[in-house]
Amino acid sequence: MGSSPWPQGTRSRSLKRIWPWLALLGVLGMVRWSKGAGFADGYALLTRPFWPGSAQKQWIQAAQQQDDATRLQLLEVDNARLRGLLSLDRQGGSTAISAAVISRTPEGWWQQIVLGKGVLDGIKQGDAVIGPGGLIGRVQSATPATSLVRLLTAPGSRVGVWVPRTRQHALLVGMGTARPELKFIDKDVKVRPGDLVSTSPASTLLPANLPVAVVQSLNSRAVPAPTALVQLIAPPDAIDWVQVSRR
Amino acid sequence: MARLHSQPICVASGLLVPLISLAAPSWLSLGGVLPSWAVLWLLPWALVDGPVSGVIAGAAMGLVLDGLSVGDASQVPALMLLGWWWGRLGRRGRPIQRSLNLGLLAWIGTMLLGLSLWAQLLVQGVNAPLAQAFALHTCLAQGLMTGLMAPMIGSWQLLIWRRRTPA
Repeated sequence: MGSSPWPQGTRSRSLKRIWPWLALLGVLGMVRWSKGAGFADGYALLTRPFWPGSAQKQWIQAAQQQDDATRLQLLEVDNARLRGLLSLDRQGGSTAISAAVISRTPEGWWQQIVLGKGVLDGIKQGDAVIGPGGLIGRVQSATPATSLVRLLTAPGSRVGVWVPRTRQHALLVGMGTARPELKFIDKDVKVRPGDLVSTSPASTLLPANLPVAVVQSLNSRAVPAPTALVQLIAPPDAIDWVQVSRR
Repeated sequence: MARLHSQPICVASGLLVPLISLAAPSWLSLGGVLPSWAVLWLLPWALVDGPVSGVIAGAAMGLVLDGLSVGDASQVPALMLLGWWWGRLGRRGRPIQRSLNLGLLAWIGTMLLGLSLWAQLLVQGVNAPLAQAFALHTCLAQGLMTGLMAPMIGSWQLLIWRRRTPA
């Protein structure tokens, strides 16, 4: 065996000298592999007092809302165009009239509200009346300055509705109680409590896809077809202002 | 003094009925049901002014209230019948003015009015069990409220109107 040109003591001293540099390289390799974790977190921790304040956050949120509103407007225009192609009634989102409730009888023989706007403001018989959250009734008659609205809960009130989840049509029948009855047309009903009830997307009498109620309970044994009790989304006994959607 | 129907101020008092019906003060309701303001006004009117005036007043009041209400059920037949009946009661025997009598007459009248509306709803096809429960609740609550308020309001009206039309 030949002897090494380097003495043993010199090699071990060299390893000891470069060992910290090798460790540093290893750590930096970990930083590279983790995409800067540690560095970025440390930077965030150090610069937290200098982050953008609430004013800038509100600016960003306002911009986000503006973006959402613009997108909604574009979608409504697109939707109206498609509904026009299908020869369906156009949604009246832009033709809604705000009206104050000047008389309210949500219980008793005649369940109705009277609005402080009428024919002079463009309201006609049959217009949909929308409270915060959804449909509450339809205009039964209108004078020059007032409108008489029949609530969905009124006995004898009948409105065609739609359950979006199961894509089934039904008739919402008022019975005087706070919870109207949903009469289905099909016998095979897949509706369950909690399902949303809305106006039909193909409705020509009411604005399409308007929330109306939530299914509370289902009576699948009713004849000739199942029925359900629903809770209205907009309670008429606590509404001071409504929107009238002109047809 | 002239009869009630020929005194404009007495006739004008009938305007209060549709106005109060529209105002619908919720603090006077029982289970959300208000008293029958038409019955409260018509009872003393018919007792003082007789059956013919009672029938006409009942028809007029019913027509106005029907115009202010949604739905197809009418109050006119029941109010005309009550106007005639109370008018005949007022013409016979001693004048009715005791609180119990007024309350009882108002309760019977409101129940008759409620039953007539209930019958009309049945004819219109509103016959689900829940609708029947609603009608019964409304009948009873309205009858009770009207019967309780009649001695207070009715006796006061009788006092004023009888002073204006001495026999």
